[in-house]
Amino acid sequence: MKSVKHNLLFPRLKKALRVDHPKESLKSSHGLKKIVLVGTPNVGKSVIFNFLTGAYVTVSNYPGTTVEISRGKTFIKEKETWEVIDTPGMYSLLPITEEERVSRTLLLEDNPDVVLHIIDAKNLERILNLTIQLIEAGLPVILVINMIDEADKLGIKVDPAILESLIGIPVVTTSAASGYGLDTIKNTIWDYYQNNTLGKQA
Amino acid sequence: MEAAVFKLPVYDLLIEKSLLKIENLLINNFNLSKRAIALLLLQGDEEIHKIVSARDRGNYEAIERIIADTQANYKEPLYFVVNLQRQHTATRLSDQATSAPEEPRHSFSEKISRLTMRPVTGVPILLLVLYCGLYKFVGIFGAGTLVDYLETGYENIINPWVNRLVEIYIPWVPVQELLAKDYGIITLGFRYALAIVLPIVGTFFIVFSIIEDTGYLPRMAMLVDRVFKSIGLNGRAVIPMTLGFGCDAMATMVSRTLETARERIIATLLLALAIPCSAQLGIILAILSGKPRALALWAGFLLLIFLLVGYLTARLLPGARPSFYMELPPMRRPNLRNIYTKTYTRMQWYFLEIMPLFILASVLIWLGNITGIFQQLVAWLTPVVNCIGLPDAIAQVFLFGFFRRDYGAAGLYDLYKTGILNSAQLVVTAATLTLFVPCIAQFIIMIKERGLKTAVAIALFIFPFAFISGYALNWLIFITGVKL
Repeated sequence: MKSVKHNLLFPRLKKALRVDHPKESLKSSHGLKKIVLVGTPNVGKSVIFNFLTGAYVTVSNYPGTTVEISRGKTFIKEKETWEVIDTPGMYSLLPITEEERVSRTLLLEDNPDVVLHIIDAKNLERILNLTIQLIEAGLPVILVINMIDEADKLGIKVDPAILESLIGIPVVTTSAASGYGLDTIKNTIWDYYQNNTLGKQA
Repeated sequence: MEAAVFKLPVYDLLIEKSLLKIENLLINNFNLSKRAIALLLLQGDEEIHKIVSARDRGNYEAIERIIADTQANYKEPLYFVVNLQRQHTATRLSDQATSAPEEPRHSFSEKISRLTMRPVTGVPILLLVLYCGLYKFVGIFGAGTLVDYLETGYENIINPWVNRLVEIYIPWVPVQELLAKDYGIITLGFRYALAIVLPIVGTFFIVFSIIEDTGYLPRMAMLVDRVFKSIGLNGRAVIPMTLGFGCDAMATMVSRTLETARERIIATLLLALAIPCSAQLGIILAILSGKPRALALWAGFLLLIFLLVGYLTARLLPGARPSFYMELPPMRRPNLRNIYTKTYTRMQWYFLEIMPLFILASVLIWLGNITGIFQQLVAWLTPVVNCIGLPDAIAQVFLFGFFRRDYGAAGLYDLYKTGILNSAQLVVTAATLTLFVPCIAQFIIMIKERGLKTAVAIALFIFPFAFISGYALNWLIFITGVKL
């Protein structure tokens, strides 16, 4: 009786709260190329995930809604299907919370072809720490500086070209809420992937 | 995949040397670079240590020696040193790539943000939000106006119509009673769900979504952090706790975002015990709204229990006190679309979840009625209920409450309308019902999230505790002779 009810209740709960257990969701799917989104909560990861996949995901403005991993699909260059994976919040590769542990396990065990590190333009100083860790880890990182419009309002100017030359990875600026720069993300993913694979072959 | 080589020096020579040594000892089949693994080892990451000690067993001792030797050179723990040095690089990068205004501009939203977190202004703001959001909107409008309207409509139009239809087309009395009459699926189950629970839960989720979308929630967390520390939680627990006012089952699930197992247990217990779900809250607010002193007594009593039990649990449960760190999202004007989708998905979850249970409860009560088990259970509960100063009819409400919190609350509402309860009895019932049982759905999630043992232990604590508290409260009202 108890276990029956269990099964009845859980799929719905899972669906509504999007709870996947890390072990389950770490199964890789059908050999698609993978994009993994990482970043602290509330930097617009979900909006970018939605833009890429067209799927609905709860867009939250407080830490704690994305306890789990959501997956979707996107088309890159209108011909190739890629898998998009949204991770829970992450501040550092050295995890403190369950969310961070789930995110890191994914980076450890899955094999992303591109990692989008999405960060808040108003708070570059703190968050670049994680960007450095991701680069150190040898992951194929693209830095997405989001909320560039909000930084602008505060008088903070970010120069992506300088940053790009300093850290040696592609840097894109966006304002996901208004849609600015979102198309650039896909193109950058493609170019970066091409460069990386060509570099590997050469 | 080959990625960019980092061009800037990040760590000092000593750490770089140690890293190189560790890297050479690693047999790498990680997805992350050897450098990253060496760094995590230096920083004392338990998971990585476990993996490496199992896999690179031969070299693990040597690695541990390198780490110890490195640590000997620094006063602070290595994870701190490593992070600090990396942060210097991050700061340098950020300084070179961004230009901030001489005088930091404070936007309007930042000013509001600061006001919400300073105790002097923050506490009144919090009370105002609770008053307008919970009391006025959920309690008075949702559970009062809307429920009145829908309830009356349902009872005057749908119930008589269903009863007549059933009498005409279904010749068997037991089946008539399954669908209609006093405890029928349509006349009771659907009525509770649609006319009582829906408007209350709906209004609550609207309020919660607005609070969530403005970014006020984490600021509230900052504000109450100190109080929560004394009950073994930290500000982070504000989210599941607040969500608990909507649905405790949902909140118990969200409590997994808390950092330590200890916090998760405390939060689960407090959610099961002292946080009324929106259906209970709304109905209790509506019932007691005309009696400010009764309302204050109920709220004060629950707050006392919440803090007391939290404080004692924090004392009894072993484990370190949590630290608090939470990123503050910007304050912003809530987005209508976001509010709509958030409210909609929560409502959808809620109804897919509870409708079957409401129907199940109706069926069980029907079965219980036919077999006489229901009457027997009520008969057993009646002396307990009488003991805390309540009339016989309340026993049925508690039995309902066991199926679902909101079901019991809806039953209380039905009873309240008959006018047999006086103010003191209403307060005692409201308090006991709030404390009493995590409902079936919440209990199942407690098992799933915290394990069978913890869940059962919590339930076994709550059953007697609720009634003892009700008894104490009744006695207190009697002894002091307060007019409510």
